[in-house]
Amino acid sequence: MSDADRERTRWFLRTILPHEPALRGWLSRAAPSGMDPEDVIQEAYTILAELETVEGIRHPKAYLFQVARSVIMRHVRRARIVSIHAVDDLERLDHPDDDASPEQRTIDRDELRQLARAIAAMPLKTREAFVLRRVRGLPQREIAARMRISENTIETHISRGVLFLIDWFGRGGNRRSQTSKYAEPEIAPRDGETRHQSRH
Amino acid sequence: MAKRDTSRDIDQAASQWTARLDRGPLTAEEEAGLQAWLGGDPRAKGALLRARALSMMSESAQALGEGFDPVAFEAIVAPPPGRSRRQALLWAGGATAAAALAALGVGVATAGTVVRTRRGEIRLTPLEDGSSVLLNTDSRIRIRYDRGERRVALLEGEAYFSVARDDDRPFVVEVDGRRLTTSQAGFRVRRLDRAPVEVLVNQGRVDVAGGKPGLALAANSRMALSGPAAGRPQRLAPETVTRELAWRDGKLAFEGEPLGEAAAAFARYSDTTIEVRDPVLAREPVTGLFAANDPVGFSRAVARVFDARIEVERHGVVLTRAPAS
Repeated sequence: MSDADRERTRWFLRTILPHEPALRGWLSRAAPSGMDPEDVIQEAYTILAELETVEGIRHPKAYLFQVARSVIMRHVRRARIVSIHAVDDLERLDHPDDDASPEQRTIDRDELRQLARAIAAMPLKTREAFVLRRVRGLPQREIAARMRISENTIETHISRGVLFLIDWFGRGGNRRSQTSKYAEPEIAPRDGETRHQSRH
Repeated sequence: MAKRDTSRDIDQAASQWTARLDRGPLTAEEEAGLQAWLGGDPRAKGALLRARALSMMSESAQALGEGFDPVAFEAIVAPPPGRSRRQALLWAGGATAAAALAALGVGVATAGTVVRTRRGEIRLTPLEDGSSVLLNTDSRIRIRYDRGERRVALLEGEAYFSVARDDDRPFVVEVDGRRLTTSQAGFRVRRLDRAPVEVLVNQGRVDVAGGKPGLALAANSRMALSGPAAGRPQRLAPETVTRELAWRDGKLAFEGEPLGEAAAAFARYSDTTIEVRDPVLAREPVTGLFAANDPVGFSRAVARVFDARIEVERHGVVLTRAPAS
């Protein structure tokens, strides 16, 4: 990742991502039917990724909502099937409720602790690979050697771990009801050793 | 018309690319594939940004330390509904509970549990009320909760407190005979040798008592509790706060500090010393984010920037000016 990329990613992580649950909540009420909030969120992020600079952004939450709104408007105009009335509603939704800042709301949710919980909730093999990569900092190649599975499989586990975090943190942290859908089969057949996998 | 990918498909692909990038540099062919994917859907770039941001965030998992045991952690932080943590520990089985205690340094909240870290260690200690303490290197706290107060004494070192809201039961940090009280806040308290005792508030509000007069510290401010500047709150830029708290991610952040000072900062985290032999070199300003447990890596980076000579000896690193050529 180039320095500029890293900087933008860090900015996004610190100033935008904490507002995602609020944005999702607003979109689920405000977005015209037939428009998936998840699509709008991804497209809004694309706009943020493509900005030349983010230096001028003083109110990231308001800015994010504004960008999301522009995404909706663009789709509405393109579709040309939404009534004027719907557009009018959108105009009125111009000012999403700017309640407590996420800092205030997440104050007791120590990020590291959330992360530890998220990792703890990952499927077995994915968790093992993820812990070796992120907690111990081993390169993927080395993890493959340790776990005696291919580097490609390790890559798949890491990608599952990332996807897991997207769900975990995007939906406002630790919603256990969400975790059940990860009870999917392991990539490699279970070999009986996995029960003790977390101790080395 | 081809079926449009769902946002879930896009997230999946973004996660795969993130994992691929994490593995190592892309081949030319893969790079072309990535660019094609990014250009193929207006949601792709945004999804990749989010996936990489979360991957970056997960780098802070290193702060959980080598002893981190997710299984034990799960047992401790997610007791089944209707059971207290104490019961949960019993329920989880003696061995698991013992492992959890060893891994996390969590005492079942009895009176006067002491938690400490060794040099170079960072340890997260969840507390029974949902608050937590992140202990920096070489630090020691005593936890004493009772019905009226959630009390933690900082005996030495540095700790970051994330306090869960409870208006009826104040959270009190005792340090050096002073009481720092809050109902909800995120703040850092530091008690180091040869430096003033200091409190820095990141979020919420902290009341400082035991001095004259009592004071309330708001977010983004700090105050010394001893030394020449004691009692005078100082406003901080959010960037400064982030930098001051970089150790929570196992990092040290500098912005223009003299090299000598930066080198000394590393000494807190490792037995490997950095000795700067040249006084002019020692005054060179250092800027950047470095892994706190890698003094040698830091020295190498510094040597490259300042054109210094580096010698790695048994107990440490020596930096000298390269002779003029």
